[in-house]
Amino acid sequence: MIILCCSNIIFFLSLDQIIIGDQVEIARVIKEEVKKELRKSLEEAQLYMHTVAGPKLALVIDGKCLMYALDPSLRVTLLSLSLNCTSVVCCRVSPLQKAQVTSLVRKGAKKITLSIGDGANDVSMIQAAHVGIGISGMEGMQAVMASDFAIAQFRFLTDLLLVHGRWSYLRICKVVMYFFYKNLTFTLTQFWFTFRTGFSGQRFYDDWFQSLYNVFFTALPVIVLGLFEKDVSASLSKRYPELYREGIRNSFFKWRVVAVWATSAVYQSLVCYLFVTTSSFGAINSSGKIFGLWDVSTLVFTCLVIAVNVRILLMSNSITRWHYITVGGSILAWLVFAFVYCGITTPRDRNENVYFVIYVLMSTFYFYFALLLVPIVSLLGDFIFQGVERWFFPYDYQIVQEIHRHESDASKADHLEIENELTPQEARSYAISQLPRELSKHTGFAFDSPGYESFFASQLGVYAPQKAWDVARRASMRSRPTVPKKK
Amino acid sequence: MPSNTASSSSAPAGSSKSKRPKYSKFTQQELPACKPILTPGWVILTFLVISVIFIPLGVVSLFASQDVVEIVDRYDNDCVPTPARTNKVAYIQGGSDKSCNRTLVVPKKMKQPIYVYYQLENFYQNHRRYVKSRSDSQLRSVKDENQIDACKPEDDVNGRPIVPCGLIAWSLFNDTYALSKNNQPLTVNKRGIAWKSDREHKFGKNVFPKNFQEGNITGGGRLDANKSLSEQEDLIVWMRTAALPTFRKLYGKIESDLEKGDTIHVTLLNNYNTYSFDGKKKLVLSTTSWLGGKNDFLGIAYLTVGGICFFLALVFTIMYLVKPRRLGDPTYLSWNRVPGGGR
Repeated sequence: MIILCCSNIIFFLSLDQIIIGDQVEIARVIKEEVKKELRKSLEEAQLYMHTVAGPKLALVIDGKCLMYALDPSLRVTLLSLSLNCTSVVCCRVSPLQKAQVTSLVRKGAKKITLSIGDGANDVSMIQAAHVGIGISGMEGMQAVMASDFAIAQFRFLTDLLLVHGRWSYLRICKVVMYFFYKNLTFTLTQFWFTFRTGFSGQRFYDDWFQSLYNVFFTALPVIVLGLFEKDVSASLSKRYPELYREGIRNSFFKWRVVAVWATSAVYQSLVCYLFVTTSSFGAINSSGKIFGLWDVSTLVFTCLVIAVNVRILLMSNSITRWHYITVGGSILAWLVFAFVYCGITTPRDRNENVYFVIYVLMSTFYFYFALLLVPIVSLLGDFIFQGVERWFFPYDYQIVQEIHRHESDASKADHLEIENELTPQEARSYAISQLPRELSKHTGFAFDSPGYESFFASQLGVYAPQKAWDVARRASMRSRPTVPKKK
Repeated sequence: MPSNTASSSSAPAGSSKSKRPKYSKFTQQELPACKPILTPGWVILTFLVISVIFIPLGVVSLFASQDVVEIVDRYDNDCVPTPARTNKVAYIQGGSDKSCNRTLVVPKKMKQPIYVYYQLENFYQNHRRYVKSRSDSQLRSVKDENQIDACKPEDDVNGRPIVPCGLIAWSLFNDTYALSKNNQPLTVNKRGIAWKSDREHKFGKNVFPKNFQEGNITGGGRLDANKSLSEQEDLIVWMRTAALPTFRKLYGKIESDLEKGDTIHVTLLNNYNTYSFDGKKKLVLSTTSWLGGKNDFLGIAYLTVGGICFFLALVFTIMYLVKPRRLGDPTYLSWNRVPGGGR
């Protein structure tokens, strides 16, 4: 049956006929019924889908009907009908059916699915989806143990998705792109060098410089980027949920983005290599002396470390003091290491001849001139690109940043804070909530508890009183409330 | 906001047992942060600042480089007598007299010290097997004389270790130059041409050459067995392997001025064999400035980048005036522009 409700259309699929007869025959007949209903609903739905400003469609289906609708022959029809609807409500379903519906959407629609539940009956559903979220609390910890993420209250889901999920996507994209970029730049400078060594495979940099590049000299800033990067604040993320679309569309990790980073790496490696090798030909200070291979390569390495580390500051949307500490610290660590490493002679010599190289370099004016020129020219390309991109092809989060650029950090409002002072109403609510709760784990369904109504009400800003029968029931429970033991 | 729903995991901070983890700005990711937005103002300002800093630096560097006077003379082809030019390798390996006379004219006044270099081209001192063919421990001290493993094939002669061993030392450059001006010989000071760190720490004061160039093939120059390695500055300069196949190495310095128009006569001994691999040899006389020799690259690079930045500042200003976009214009949000669309 189809019922029209305002401008939305709700499809109801339930079995309310009684058929007497042979079990197999009954099953077959029911299946035919269901198939007919599904087909009819699907045609109706597709009719509405073709009109652009059509009504929103909803599907309500109960467990008994679902049992037949999930049959392999009808599954596809059910799926296409569901995908045409804005929302689907399956009621009175068993845990197995929950898992089956989730798998149906996961495999059939090929989209990323998320399931959230709080009871033991939700475990299979949680595991069937891509992302499973368990709510810890009333119904026990089974859902939490089976889930990928556990939250304490249902309302934390908005934060999980819109704030932390979004930030996590942004951070992962940036960290991965930066890692490839910095190693590509570093390796390409060596690659350009091979053309001038007769392709003999002579390394450009000293062994230890090369090995510690990824360990000490460029490791920490990207970790700080991955921890603290935020494009917009948490409250703005929730205010503009459409920003979530950037993750759905994968806008930060498309091939186009990868190509831009790769081009930047090629350009920077060319600048670092060519500028230094061309300008260090001939005498480099007033004493007329000449640089050797290790002098040139150490200078290129220094310029590279500086350029690659400062790049982090260019790509961060929010720069904390840890960014400054790690970027400056990494460059400083490189210099300190170079001072120590070039200042010692080991008994079995490294045969690499970087003895005293950094001191020789630093005794020339040329070193400082090159150090100012090369990193700035390397980063100029990225700077120009970012300036142009932000102005003519801005991302959504950049517009949001600009809209709210004058607002200071109202960080307190971001939190799901619990106030310290209680109004008399709240004090009463708190007292009621301290009454002994339903301890049975078989209360049935996730939202069939007295608390949820007041949760929805509070979301709307409306006060919903506690249900009298629930308060009375709890006050009369024989078992004593569990009082936390005082030390 | 009434948040006291019937859930157990939240409790007002007033109660003694709260399960909330301790708040810290670090763990809650609320550190005070600078949120830079690359507005057109910042972009143009950055370009202007860069051009303001770079253009003067470029001018200064270019002047320094332009002040340097340099004379370069390629002699490897001309110093082979005409009859021998069909087989230069045979000539150079033969025993004939290799002296050659060259004439250089000074184009501009050159103030002392004037540095004499030899420039080699197509000589891969940065070849992997060449670079590793040395023993630094042997160079430093006498007791490590036998550390010659890396030096193959120039490690020993009939079981006796070569000091200094390795291909780098073996291929020592051995052309010599005797300069004179107006029939007055110009002394070329060959001391102080190597880096001090090399002279004092890498090459030992009591290490003397032994069994050097006594093998079947002579690779280059010979060494005076009575001078310790730290005094053999030609060897020290040669052993600081160059980065690229075209390189210069310091030969010596002239400590008197040269006037414009002076004629310098060079009597050189064309001993070194670069003909087997089509290498080139050049003699270079050059003054230096505080920034080094004649290398315009730094100056030109600074000027070019400064100029480009200035030009970009203008271009961006024009662009922003022609195609303005109000900062924070909500109509640019993808969900406002195209229904259901965006990048």
